[in-house]
Amino acid sequence: MEIRIKGLTRDYYSEGKRIRALDNIDLTIPANRIFTLLGPSGCGKTTLLRCIVGLETPDAGEIAIGDEIVWSTEKGIFVPPEKRGLGMVFQTYAIWPHMTVFENVAYPLRCRNMSMEEIRTRVARFLEFVQLDGFENRPATKLSGGQQQRVALARALVAEPKVILFDEPLSNLDAKLREETRKELRRFLTGLNITAVYVTHDRVEALALSDLIAIMRAGRIVEVGDPKQIYFRSGDRFVADFIGRANLINGKVAALEGSHAVIETNIGAIVGLNPQGIEPGTEAMLCVRPEFIKTEATGAAGGRNLFRGKIETLLFIGEAYEGEVRIGDTLVTTTISPTVDVVEGGEIFLSFDTDHCFLLPA
Amino acid sequence: MARRSVLTPALIVIVGFLTISPVLMLVAGSFSEGFGTFHGFTAAKYVEAYTDPELSAILLDTAIFTLGSAAVATLLALFLAYVNTRTDIPFKFFFGIISIIPMMIPHILFSVSWVLLLNPSNGILNRYLMGLFGLKEALFNIYSLPGMILVEGLLDLPIAYLILAPAMSAFDVSLEESSRACGANTFRTLTRVTLPVLRPAIAASVILVIVKSLASFAVPSVIGTPGRIYVLATHIYRIIATGFSPDYGKAAAVGMSALVASILLVYLYRYLTSESDRYVTISSRGFKPVLLELKRSKYPLLGLIGLLSFVLIVVPVMVLLYTSMLPYIMVPDAKAFSLMSWKNWWEVLRDPISLLALKNSLMLGVVGATLGVILSIFVSYVIVKVRTAAAGILESLSFLSFSFPGIVIGVGFMWFFVRTPLYATIWALLIGYVAAYLPYGIRPLSSAFVQIHSHLEESSKVCGAGPFTTLRRIVIPLLIPGIVSGWILMATMFLRELTLSVVLSRPGTEVLAVQILRFAEDGLWGRLSALGIIMIVISSALVAAASLLGKALTKR
Repeated sequence: MEIRIKGLTRDYYSEGKRIRALDNIDLTIPANRIFTLLGPSGCGKTTLLRCIVGLETPDAGEIAIGDEIVWSTEKGIFVPPEKRGLGMVFQTYAIWPHMTVFENVAYPLRCRNMSMEEIRTRVARFLEFVQLDGFENRPATKLSGGQQQRVALARALVAEPKVILFDEPLSNLDAKLREETRKELRRFLTGLNITAVYVTHDRVEALALSDLIAIMRAGRIVEVGDPKQIYFRSGDRFVADFIGRANLINGKVAALEGSHAVIETNIGAIVGLNPQGIEPGTEAMLCVRPEFIKTEATGAAGGRNLFRGKIETLLFIGEAYEGEVRIGDTLVTTTISPTVDVVEGGEIFLSFDTDHCFLLPA
Repeated sequence: MARRSVLTPALIVIVGFLTISPVLMLVAGSFSEGFGTFHGFTAAKYVEAYTDPELSAILLDTAIFTLGSAAVATLLALFLAYVNTRTDIPFKFFFGIISIIPMMIPHILFSVSWVLLLNPSNGILNRYLMGLFGLKEALFNIYSLPGMILVEGLLDLPIAYLILAPAMSAFDVSLEESSRACGANTFRTLTRVTLPVLRPAIAASVILVIVKSLASFAVPSVIGTPGRIYVLATHIYRIIATGFSPDYGKAAAVGMSALVASILLVYLYRYLTSESDRYVTISSRGFKPVLLELKRSKYPLLGLIGLLSFVLIVVPVMVLLYTSMLPYIMVPDAKAFSLMSWKNWWEVLRDPISLLALKNSLMLGVVGATLGVILSIFVSYVIVKVRTAAAGILESLSFLSFSFPGIVIGVGFMWFFVRTPLYATIWALLIGYVAAYLPYGIRPLSSAFVQIHSHLEESSKVCGAGPFTTLRRIVIPLLIPGIVSGWILMATMFLRELTLSVVLSRPGTEVLAVQILRFAEDGLWGRLSALGIIMIVISSALVAAASLLGKALTKR
């Protein structure tokens, strides 16, 4: 089901000061996709999610889930969370410690007054779906973190809601389990006909899991796009920097070359993609990610986007070196293959991949 | 939302009434001429109270008694906590038992059992030792300051242990290991690293035991009074309970100094425990302390701890049971066993005042604990979940009574009740109990509320449950363990309540502990013991019933 949000505003009062958690948000979350709200802590992403579920009440605006308006300040509509028919997985999983796995998962069905027989078959089906069949009579607190997470998922899905919401569900798992669960979750969700809204501050999680990402900052949505678009063609400096490691170099657009443009910078002219269509003569910024900077032993090959620099620091991290290279006054971060013969203080030639660096409005 | 805004002020009024009014009445009373009238402001009672030639001796004895008890309890607790957490001693469950004894044996009965064993004229152990060594005089005299200190110290041992044991087990062992690595031996490490790091916990334990022993009435009245050793609590009691005209004004004036001292000490305690955050050494990584191998000293140590638990738990009950069967105190021998009968039990069960006391105490225990827990549920809810500025005021108010010595607050309530129809009714006792013991109900309930993460309720709402279903299926089941332990704590406290009751209890509103005190004053040890055993049995039955009920409720 599609979720449409119009003019949503929410203020907090803390120590007499007003903090705007959500600032006039307009957003449409398309049906049957995995939609992620990504942003640094305190950007309002969890508040937005809780407004959609109904656990928090906005100060102004309108929220519609499918055809039903669930919140509207103008029309005076408030549908309480229990009437919205959604599923949600909490950061703490919120598994009820006094119930068994079965009781936890059966709870939403009991609230809908289903027959015991139907509850049994449905719970069994969803426990099997999250690969927890046979765990019915375990006390819920006797499970591992990953298992509790799957109980929470089964409980959120069991009533077959049209929308499921996730509030940083993986942040309590350790790194290895987090990666596995991420893959599993992606598999579970793509198998279902369901709209998923997912909140996280972890950019890798967002990239790996989502069909669409909305990046939030200070109560506003900065940019919405699919993972590749956000990573490679972002039109916002904050987003480009937040979604991955980035070298941002200031300059002025000199000329257009089809989908590319030449930008004149402190270290010389650089050719990159121009997805925003920035006009020549305007101030702009070039974003190049460390993994798209190639190293050359000599400058013999020549050509565009080739720069000579001095290696300031070099860290060996196993699969690569992480180097900081000074080109003129500009310090560029790059990953260097461990097979390349380099030393700290040594000279190096860098070439920027013209199809994987891009221009941003300054 | 609207309900909440009424709830907090309403609770502040109720709790404020319960905790502040006795203090205000105490102050007003101490400046009044006669009991029950507040006409004429006068400082005469203060002059009278503080020019009393006996007072300096009483204050000195009070200081020795409280400091001595604090030393005994803290040193013993340190030893037990160290042995439990840091050595490989077997049977560690002993330590858990030691920490819950005060739940089982009322202080007055514990004191009486020591009187029965060690009083100079016919104490069982004294008589036995005299016979054994052919002595003319008793070896021990329990009716002395050292006797009082020993018994009070043992009674307050669990308080000290409950503060020191967690501190000891949270201790980061690497601090000690680095001391060892620097070349210090075990003893030097203990004295230069371990004990200094534990200093805030040790200080907290000492202060809390001083507060407790300052408020203690059982030991000073049962052991101190026969030896003509008076401390503040018994001095106040003497002013209001003996002689022709009880002087509640003078009692209030004396009580003010105990109250002020107690409040100051609790403030110091609060300061130290908040200060101790600096010393917090617990680290999140799972560490397992290297246990000190006891080797040859293992069994002597185990014997010592076994003896301590024996003295703390088994001896009092056995002495009472034994005495309840005898016409007078005697050394266990063939003659004693031939004289055993149920006579004392029959007399107690036919004594109308004892039966009335039994009925009153049972009613106060059950009804009082129920009302106290209900109030505690609301107060804890506001403290933990509402968390406004007003909730902070409520929190301070509700823990205030923790620092009030019972007998002093009893005098304050007396001044309050005397002008109301509640005077000399069982409701006066009920109100006083709930006021004085409110922190004991709030503590388990607020920790129960803390455990109910707001996500657990929210998750239920998202699953489609309305507020009522959420309350019934999620909140209440999770609260039940807290409700049960709060109820048990309050019910057992009320059943054996002595310090408030000696002031508030009047003819017709006798309670168990006061009746036991009367028996002790009259030297009716046999009946006392029988009634005491009945009291212990009822108390244990209440605990068992409440925990069974709690289990049944959480099963569902």
